[in-house]
Amino acid sequence: MNILNMIIAPELIVALTGFVVLITDLFIEDKKRHILGPIALIGILLASVSVCNLLPETSSMFGGRFVFDPVAGWFKLFFLLGAAFTVIFCWQSKAREKLPSTGEFYSVLMFTVVGMMFIISARDLITLYISLELATIPLFALAAWRKGDKLSGEAGLKYVIFGALASGLLLYGLGLLYGLSGSADLLVISQTITDSPALWLAGALILAGIGFKITMFPFHIWAADVYQGAPTVVTAYLSVASKSAGMAFMFQILFGIFGNALSEYGWLIAALATATMTLGNLVAIVQNNIKRFMAFSAISQAGYIILGFLGPFSESVPSMLFYLFIYVFTNMAVFGVIIYYSDTTGKEEIDDYKGLSRTNPAIAFVMMIGLFSLAGIPPLSGFVGKFFLFSIAAKAGYHWLVAVAAINSTVSLYYYLRIIRQMYMEPPAENAKKLPISKTLALTFLLTTLAVILLGVIPHVYETIQTQTTNWLPTLNQLP
Amino acid sequence: MGLVSWLFILPFVTALAVIMTPAGRSDLVRKIALAGTSLHLLLTGYIVYKFIQVATFSGEGVKEALITQLYLVEKITWFESLGIQYFVGLDGISLFMVVLTSIVIFTGILASWSVVERSKEFFALLLILVSGVFGVFVSFDLFMFFMFYEVAVLPMYLLIGIWGTGPKEYSAMKLTMMLMASSALILVGFLALYHGSGLETFDLIEISKVHFPIAFQNWVFPTIFIGFGVIGALYPFHTWSPDGHSSAPTAVSMLHAGVLMKLGGYGALRIGLYLLPEGAQNWALFFMGLTTINIIYGAFAAIKQKDLKFFTAYSSVSHCGFVLFGIVTLNMIGVKGAVIQMFSHGIMTALFFGLIGMVYGRTKTRIVTEMGGLAKVMPWLAVCFYVAGLASLGLPGLAGFIAESHVFLGGFIGNPWTDATTMRVLTVIATMSIVVTAVYVLRGLGQVFQGPLKEQFKTITDATLTEKISTGVLVATLAIVGLAPWFFIDLIEGAIYPLINRLSLNANTWMTF
Repeated sequence: MNILNMIIAPELIVALTGFVVLITDLFIEDKKRHILGPIALIGILLASVSVCNLLPETSSMFGGRFVFDPVAGWFKLFFLLGAAFTVIFCWQSKAREKLPSTGEFYSVLMFTVVGMMFIISARDLITLYISLELATIPLFALAAWRKGDKLSGEAGLKYVIFGALASGLLLYGLGLLYGLSGSADLLVISQTITDSPALWLAGALILAGIGFKITMFPFHIWAADVYQGAPTVVTAYLSVASKSAGMAFMFQILFGIFGNALSEYGWLIAALATATMTLGNLVAIVQNNIKRFMAFSAISQAGYIILGFLGPFSESVPSMLFYLFIYVFTNMAVFGVIIYYSDTTGKEEIDDYKGLSRTNPAIAFVMMIGLFSLAGIPPLSGFVGKFFLFSIAAKAGYHWLVAVAAINSTVSLYYYLRIIRQMYMEPPAENAKKLPISKTLALTFLLTTLAVILLGVIPHVYETIQTQTTNWLPTLNQLP
Repeated sequence: MGLVSWLFILPFVTALAVIMTPAGRSDLVRKIALAGTSLHLLLTGYIVYKFIQVATFSGEGVKEALITQLYLVEKITWFESLGIQYFVGLDGISLFMVVLTSIVIFTGILASWSVVERSKEFFALLLILVSGVFGVFVSFDLFMFFMFYEVAVLPMYLLIGIWGTGPKEYSAMKLTMMLMASSALILVGFLALYHGSGLETFDLIEISKVHFPIAFQNWVFPTIFIGFGVIGALYPFHTWSPDGHSSAPTAVSMLHAGVLMKLGGYGALRIGLYLLPEGAQNWALFFMGLTTINIIYGAFAAIKQKDLKFFTAYSSVSHCGFVLFGIVTLNMIGVKGAVIQMFSHGIMTALFFGLIGMVYGRTKTRIVTEMGGLAKVMPWLAVCFYVAGLASLGLPGLAGFIAESHVFLGGFIGNPWTDATTMRVLTVIATMSIVVTAVYVLRGLGQVFQGPLKEQFKTITDATLTEKISTGVLVATLAIVGLAPWFFIDLIEGAIYPLINRLSLNANTWMTF
């Protein structure tokens, strides 16, 4: 049996990479530690190739408990992409953002990625919960990675407490589901549950648990402090991969279990989406620290993605996956600049970006493109992604929600423009000079910017996702 | 790529060329920009020539047409599963608007000859903005239309924020926020049309074959009309306009008042009136009331202004009111007037703002009362200013007269769906604005150019060569349209028939074509 054709191959490769990095780290001289980054990158690359190799197949393992389908494949690509960017940024950090014991950092990162990759493939409650914990617990450690730093410690502690609470709620909800249906299998649950107060309670508890993961209102409170305190590389990873993992979990629960009833509870989704994006946007306006700012921006982005749950699978799944794909590149472009700027100058307030377009026009341009894409300005990919999501809401008849979402985009443009104003309209500080940049980082910026610009104009990615997922069914464990 | 695509590709390529020029070569930058826009003018001329060759202006079917006939069409599938196409083409109205934009950007580049501070970014942004404007005028796919619309609006923030004067950051932000919020309404309307048609396509022509239920039209029409109305300075959503125009640098004011505000009228006509005729019938009187306020309010507000730019900005609010007023008269002559007014106002305001920039560059003030007798030292600019002023008050022989007379005639003729008496009363009220316009134009011109020349202005020189070309082209255009309007009327008439014919169509026979 060819190991590369096993549907669990990508997970195995990533886990293996984690161990290889950890062991190499033990025996390597200090001076040569920088090769750990490329090793991790190669592992991620191999895993991505393996995922692409498996797409668009649908098959299962372990008696239907582990399923690889196109949706799972694309989610895995997002996690791997997010991890790849994180590794590159961590590897290229030279000064302030340089993390201690990078070898361990990479391996812990790999383990969270494995957890996330399992979430989207799991087809029963227990696997689902375990993979979620595997994805989350290493993240607590990552958030508190800078041992001496008070803020980082605070971030880790807050994250643990809120995370544990969320896990508890979630577990309770999943337990109730098990009690109601007598099975841990998602398909069986979706077929047996009937409307009852206990189901509502289960639903509410699960929603609260997931709400924490994807920073949905009103479970978003932890985000700002954790985003600010965690090392910036980790913040970047949290904002992209962790959010996608939460979305993956939400896919599993909402589409997998409640898929048939989803259209009846559109009002609830609409309300949550409205609250999440509006709160994220309004609070982002008053932030001064760019990491906190990005935390609220990420909250509002979660609100837009939730809109996708208003439609039937065949339409909403491609749009949501496409938006997540774009979001990975866009947010990583912005965070790349934030990490780079913080690393070279040690500054992370919005006002510190003043005059960047004079000293480093290319960097400022990358940032501007990233921010405009987040705000949904055409012809950038963020616009196209949002357009498709809004279209789903319109199709479901929520025209007022489209208006709310689009007005929210305008509000978000207001605060993204604050940064652009600093970069383009304010004169640089007197002693500001051109900052050096490594070739690898420059290349990464170039590629992400190109991706942000081109993904919206070139239809192939969306069409590929669309054709592969159009016949997707959320619970496919009846396959042999 | 076909001919029409080059209309928006060429400015974009020019913008890229501008960005590529080595630092510190602002002379080279503006030469490249000028070369690009001159080439564009030639391209537009060639396209007009081609259009006249292929288009049918009279004869069988033109007067009875219900579906817009497009020429020089290019259609490529884009996002296949969502029914999004790359779909560009031209009809008479869009061609007319393309000609306008091409002239305004050419003169705008000449008028910003003296911009040296960060000139690379300035010209690049200016060209990207126009590229978006051209895109809107030639797109017949709603997705593309919306995409280009936002591309056209956003560069304004940086253009005003960086190179503007006065409270530029406030104005830039206010303008961007109001226009972006209005585009939210447009988006709601577009998505409603897309899903409401049930065709799964953004193709404007295909959607136009569908008859939407009256209740649907009744809420989508005002959404779209107000959405576009904001950029067309519809009262009470015009407030971004005076602030924005007064803070913007010369070329940006020219483009914004001259071309960008036309996107509002164009969108209201092309999407609102064309796709939702019955919605238009039901809302016509309401919007006619608003636009009458526009016309009168803009004119009275202009009287009070001391700053030349505010003065022109309010006069723009008044004149853009004519465009929207003409559209909601819902008859051939009124809509024709609206389209000509878009063109004539575009050229006229571009001339106004260009001249204000040139005068300000010499006197360092824009306050009317601080100037005086300037005609003695700058005769060329003074003459041009007078021509613009006279066009603005509707002097026969200039473009403004043709446009305004059509609009008022249209208002007086009325339509079967609106109460004729109310319409006539509103038209009479709107017509009175001409008198008010005459007051503020003549008084303003008198204060600036007549009377004793102030001591500090004695050393001022007249227009340079680039400025003469810039203003000369605009003055000539105003005169040509004013003296030989039939050519332009022929051009747009064929495109207006489908818009008007749909209004009187019986709903039952709708789906048969």
